[in-house]
Amino acid sequence: MASIANKTDEQLIVEKHISNLHNGFAHWPRAEEAPPALGDSRWTQDLILATWLMAETGQVPDNGLEYKIGASGGGFDVLDFNIPNQDQWLSEDTEIDLSLPLNRRDDGAQLKINIPMYGGGMSYGSISEHVMQARARAAQHLGTFTSTGEGGYPPSLVPYKDHIITQVATGMFGVREETIQYAPIVEFKYAQGAKPGLGGHLLGDKATSAVAAMRESVPWVSLFSPFPFHSVYSVEDHRKHVDWIRTTNPRALVSVKVSTPTDVDMVAVGSYFAGAHIVHLDGSYGGTGAAPEIAKKNIAMPIEFAIPKVHKYLVSENVREEVTLMASGGVRTAYDVAKAIALGADGCVMGTAELIAIGCTRCSNCERGRGCPFGLTTTDPLLQQLMPADWGQQRIINMYNAYAIQLRDLLRKLGLRSIRELRGRRDLLKYVG
Amino acid sequence: MPEHRDTAATYHRYHIPTQPAPDIEKWPSRFKVKVRRAGLAKLLISEVLHYGPRKDVILSRPCMYGVFSGPVGGFMPREEHCVGCLRCTTEFPEFVRIEHNPERRSLGDSYFTFNYVDQIAYEASSGLVPVRGAGYRGKFGGEGWDGMWTDMSEIVRPTRDGIHGRETISTVVDIGYTPNFLQFDAAGQPIGNTPHTLSIQLPIVLDGPQNELAAGVAQMYARAAAELDTLAVLPFDYAVGLAAYGAAVVPVLRPEHARRLSQLGFTPRMVEMQGWDEALYSAITATFPDAIVALRTGFEETGALVSYAQRGIKVFHLLADFHGRSADGSFVLDLIREAHKAFVDAGIREEVTLLASGGMIAAEHLPKAMICGLDAVAVDTPLLVALQARFGGECSARGASSFRLPGNLNATWGVQRLKNLCASWRDQLLEILGAMGLREVRRLRGEMGRAMFMKTLEADAFAGLLGYTEAKNG
Repeated sequence: MASIANKTDEQLIVEKHISNLHNGFAHWPRAEEAPPALGDSRWTQDLILATWLMAETGQVPDNGLEYKIGASGGGFDVLDFNIPNQDQWLSEDTEIDLSLPLNRRDDGAQLKINIPMYGGGMSYGSISEHVMQARARAAQHLGTFTSTGEGGYPPSLVPYKDHIITQVATGMFGVREETIQYAPIVEFKYAQGAKPGLGGHLLGDKATSAVAAMRESVPWVSLFSPFPFHSVYSVEDHRKHVDWIRTTNPRALVSVKVSTPTDVDMVAVGSYFAGAHIVHLDGSYGGTGAAPEIAKKNIAMPIEFAIPKVHKYLVSENVREEVTLMASGGVRTAYDVAKAIALGADGCVMGTAELIAIGCTRCSNCERGRGCPFGLTTTDPLLQQLMPADWGQQRIINMYNAYAIQLRDLLRKLGLRSIRELRGRRDLLKYVG
Repeated sequence: MPEHRDTAATYHRYHIPTQPAPDIEKWPSRFKVKVRRAGLAKLLISEVLHYGPRKDVILSRPCMYGVFSGPVGGFMPREEHCVGCLRCTTEFPEFVRIEHNPERRSLGDSYFTFNYVDQIAYEASSGLVPVRGAGYRGKFGGEGWDGMWTDMSEIVRPTRDGIHGRETISTVVDIGYTPNFLQFDAAGQPIGNTPHTLSIQLPIVLDGPQNELAAGVAQMYARAAAELDTLAVLPFDYAVGLAAYGAAVVPVLRPEHARRLSQLGFTPRMVEMQGWDEALYSAITATFPDAIVALRTGFEETGALVSYAQRGIKVFHLLADFHGRSADGSFVLDLIREAHKAFVDAGIREEVTLLASGGMIAAEHLPKAMICGLDAVAVDTPLLVALQARFGGECSARGASSFRLPGNLNATWGVQRLKNLCASWRDQLLEILGAMGLREVRRLRGEMGRAMFMKTLEADAFAGLLGYTEAKNG
């Protein structure tokens, strides 16, 4: 009772709910029956629970949960690997390399990530600062990156700056010389897969004073970023954008995040010729803090179709070896990552999976009122305490550790010693639709 | 007053005024919330023992939406407030269970599924664009409309100003006849065929039920259409007496109405003829020489459309069943493309207007149908759902489907619900047009380059994979 007496009601309330939540996250993946209202076609009950289990243990689920595919009936869910006979597998003690160089040009820093994945942009305001910190610390630990999203660069992230991508989006929120100078990679967000052609949305309830200060906007007023960059009419204009970044920070790599229109192959090649080191394709089934429902399903193509289209075109233009192709937007599992790479990507950018690891149930209420009831996609001072950064950091690290185990196991069975050998190996895939 | 002031004072831009119009009939909640009372009581006791007098801590519950905020808290959860976040069941897996409500899921039918019903209920009650967090939750693609995506553009164009330019996108469409080109005499006066059109402010026509219909509902359609500056297509007998909304009413005429046209009580801007009838056509053109005459017929008549155009019909309202099927089972998406192509092949697509009904039940179907070739969509069952109609079993056949409207309908509420739905769909159309960089909806018609089909994309991406060819060739 002494410890209770010394604490405020708020502290006790937060502690009580954190304890309950953590028990729940541990309970459900092992329960005989899943919560009946959990999951959907893309993120099934099993995928969510398996991700919770991986985030807790750092290991591959061994209790029968389906952790490889969802039930969407298409895309990654109708692809599988054509695993050769066991006598062709590499031995258990073979060293499998998951690292991925991000710079294939001869300018800029030669950056390499230890796993073929990094964290996608989620803005301050759309998610809590605790979540940003958890992602940044996990990225540092894993030797990869995470992205600020377009809501600015909170000072609490500066200690992890060597692992943080500064995003420059059309709203230009929080983009300053120093945040560009911090960044090993600067990412231009031309479009976002969940709302292609529409610009970012941050609804008024989440634009708290702190968020508004970061974005230099008015508190409690909705923010709709313009679409697209109104300074870019052509590849030449885009080149000027790249030059601006390179002048401010000559060693920064430039990533260009685009959506997946029918001419996505042309867009990718244009981005390359404008000087991009990384072309980041964000497919139409990607995550979002808020997007019109009509945009999520109906505009632009899923990533599974965009990757091979772009890969083939880059090959035909003889520039494939000079640019890194990252894919996102509906990449949910280690197996999705591997399939994306086999279709032609170099690596993947992850978003929703990280949020699920730290407690997201995909309830889609991120934008409603105070925001996420689990304290993830919220700026509410009380709610955001429900996800302590150190707990979240470890969950994300654990999830990627489980992914790495799966990727190494898969590569070994495919007879490949490096994730880089998997790129474009369509011959290793089979259609099971 | 200076002239420019006068211009500003009379300036009017099209806008649909929306306001909340909550459900008048209580629908089943989305979720069932089940709490084992013994478990809850045990929890309360343990918390009282643990936290002592800290009442706020003990009473702090996981739900942010008020499910457990009633007088007796979780002992009688208010499940109508549940949004399915699952925080309660995550915190208390031993005694809280959230389930989808099967009653809610039984709304609609096998085509007009509860997801569509839910969406329309939101749109009609709020007038807003549905915006939610997290990503897409549904199936990857599928048949029909689900196997089609619309395109967008990454780079700014002179005709585009993204989200901040939406107010300058026009959704006006013209219905009627336009010649392929104009001809003029030596004096510069137009000769020969001249345009004969009317304009509506959004590519949505309200297609009223053609079977038994309460007179009050017909009036709601007419009034909503008038206030939206569009058209309501209503049976002749219900159109009689709607002179106050005459400019917005399109009576549907059958041969037996030929002698009763004068009973209409107003001069319609447009009429629909239910199937081709020479005598009726003559009677209409004699009685209402300025009216646009549309042929309302099934998609089965697609092969004959060009010949009807040669006989003077320039507006076609083609009907699939409520599930978007023709008699031979073809889907409305393909049927529209076929009808559009028939006119393109005949070289007269610019001269005619193509409307269609059936199977277009969500905002995204509007731009998709226009890309396939429609000038405007004549919306049918979604309007009934906006009025909280319940489906009497499977409702696919026109004339043989049963919808039950709430008994306490009132005109003000009904009109607002219809206007809210149209406002929401129009705003969603603007999202699609904005993403494409199009400044006016008329440019969308037949723009197949703006479409991506799953069948083609999948073949491009997966052809050559082991098992793909075999799977696709059956």
